[in-house]
Amino acid sequence: MSEHDAGRGVPALRAEHLGRRYGKVWGLRDCTLEVPAGTVAALVGPNGAGKTTLLEMIIGLLEPTEGQVSVFGETSHADTAETLARVGYVAQDHPLYRDFTIADTFHLGRSMNPRWDQGLAEARMDTLGIPLKKKVKSLSGGQQAQVSLTMALAKRAPLLVLDEPVSSLDPIARLEFMRDVMATAADSTLSFLISSHVVSELERFCDWLIVLAHGHVQLSGPVDDLLGAHRLLTVPRATPDAELPGTVIERTDSDRHSSVLVRADDAEAAVRGRAGWQADTVSFEPLVMGYLQRGSHQSNPVPAERPGPSTKAVTS
Amino acid sequence: MIWVSWRQHRGQAIACLALLAALAVYAIIESTSMRSAFSSDGLAGSCLARSQGLGCENGISTFMNEFGSAVNIAFWSVCLIIPGVIGVLVGGSLIARELEYGTWRLAWSQTVPRTRWLAVKLAMVTGGLIVLGAAMTAVITWYRAPMDQLTGHFQHNAYDYEGLVLTAYILCAFGFAVLAGLLIRRSIPAMVAAFIPWLAIRLVVEFVFRPHFMTPVTSRLGASCLSQIGTVCGQGISYVPQSTGRIGDLVLSMNGNTVTYQPASRFWAFQGIEAGIFVALTAVALGITIWLLRRRAAWVALYPALATPAPATDRRGGRRGPGHRDPEIMRQLERRLTAEFESVSCSRMSSR
Repeated sequence: MSEHDAGRGVPALRAEHLGRRYGKVWGLRDCTLEVPAGTVAALVGPNGAGKTTLLEMIIGLLEPTEGQVSVFGETSHADTAETLARVGYVAQDHPLYRDFTIADTFHLGRSMNPRWDQGLAEARMDTLGIPLKKKVKSLSGGQQAQVSLTMALAKRAPLLVLDEPVSSLDPIARLEFMRDVMATAADSTLSFLISSHVVSELERFCDWLIVLAHGHVQLSGPVDDLLGAHRLLTVPRATPDAELPGTVIERTDSDRHSSVLVRADDAEAAVRGRAGWQADTVSFEPLVMGYLQRGSHQSNPVPAERPGPSTKAVTS
Repeated sequence: MIWVSWRQHRGQAIACLALLAALAVYAIIESTSMRSAFSSDGLAGSCLARSQGLGCENGISTFMNEFGSAVNIAFWSVCLIIPGVIGVLVGGSLIARELEYGTWRLAWSQTVPRTRWLAVKLAMVTGGLIVLGAAMTAVITWYRAPMDQLTGHFQHNAYDYEGLVLTAYILCAFGFAVLAGLLIRRSIPAMVAAFIPWLAIRLVVEFVFRPHFMTPVTSRLGASCLSQIGTVCGQGISYVPQSTGRIGDLVLSMNGNTVTYQPASRFWAFQGIEAGIFVALTAVALGITIWLLRRRAAWVALYPALATPAPATDRRGGRRGPGHRDPEIMRQLERRLTAEFESVSCSRMSSR
């Protein structure tokens, strides 16, 4: 697909001071991030963090209040065919018309998308063993998710955005769906942005991580670099933050010990030779949790009248 | 996009065709007996034309006793609401259903901007409703043809269904319901919310404005009326002979031996004015809808809590505000804390 080759070097996604206000409440504020082409990026955050707001501005469903977002170098504008064509979207709970058959659903895709790939859509249904004549409402949740994903893929957009794709599925369907997404990602040059509030399921699948909480980007970067840059320290409870190496992200105090997530390159050196100090590598889930908890201590959604404290994105 | 509109509205199109077919069957049965009675009561010949009904009063009263229900109040009330019901049923679900079931996120994320999506749908459905309205008007006009020779077209049940206004009523209810659907985001409440103002406007226009669309004519009572005892010359629902001396005039008032009325010849002018009012209301409602849909922010701002609509399944549960602690996050935290507790216990044991 030529547009991907042309887009090499251009980030799949770039947001600059992106913000969206609903009435007096900011759904998302000062969001700056960049995701390179060809990555599978995870967008993590609790409900109400602004994930859907961000995604809708990327897709072209919502116009930013401030800042801008671009997909493969082209700025997204709400309600324009150019923006809509650049992104394939699998919406939360994979909405489909329940009284349509799958053939009808694909017919809709064909008549609403100029670059629609009917062969790809039908081949996928064939592989999954879902007959085209079946009504959407007779499909299982997992199958509906597959049909939604197929709709987004057959649109032939270079970026696929999946909003909470598995939150309504049972564990087996979750695994199957994510495996399917990963197989597709491996076989193609597509870029993916997958949002979820369930952290564990993303760990194995994503190579880029964005943590969003309370309308602000808390963290954005390649997963391996982020894991390498953080350590989980176990220190005596009395230790003040100032003595700890690097930046303290989140600290949990228990009776005698404190468990501290730090962003530090030299944590091992700092703990060496100190009794009761220990530095462990951190895995995906505690890392994300640390940033989410940190976010919850900080700013709540800021009223529009006064400018909110601008939480800088920690970009690596 | 045309296929999509057709696929989504074909059920309604079939229902409208069924309604039209039922109306046609009823009209054929009723009109056949009405037409045969019209001639057997002696009204079909020159009696009406010769003397505005004088000399055929017996025939008229026999005929009106049999078919007069077509001008009574119960029949009128049912007929009154039908155009509104058709309009809100079709319009109420057009946008609201997409919002209700979350399918707007499918429909509006394809390569068709949502304003174009709406424009195509509105054009197709409006076209369908115009065809339906015109067909209903044709059927009703044909069905009532004998009755209209006695009462004219200006009477309530004739005027409202035999010209341009029937179609305009349907379109107006449709336009109101589409707008209400966008604002209320639920089909059934949107239908109700659109029907009430539609009915109010419909009645106010009929009883307050319609008699004065054009300056009424005042003249002396017709000669045929003066020759009768006053009981025959009426106003309002018309009897033969009319107080103006011509069938079909809309009499507004009588004072002494002068009568104020709207001449029957103004029928199409009145139809044009009233249809114009309702079509203008439709255009305003649909214009606001398109503007609001384009500027989604405007209507999202009306309901900040609904900025990201919940799926249909979540609607009964309370809305979660921003900053709410997500159960899934809490479970994950709990797992993490348990794991930490275990690791802390282990490290304590090992440090001993």
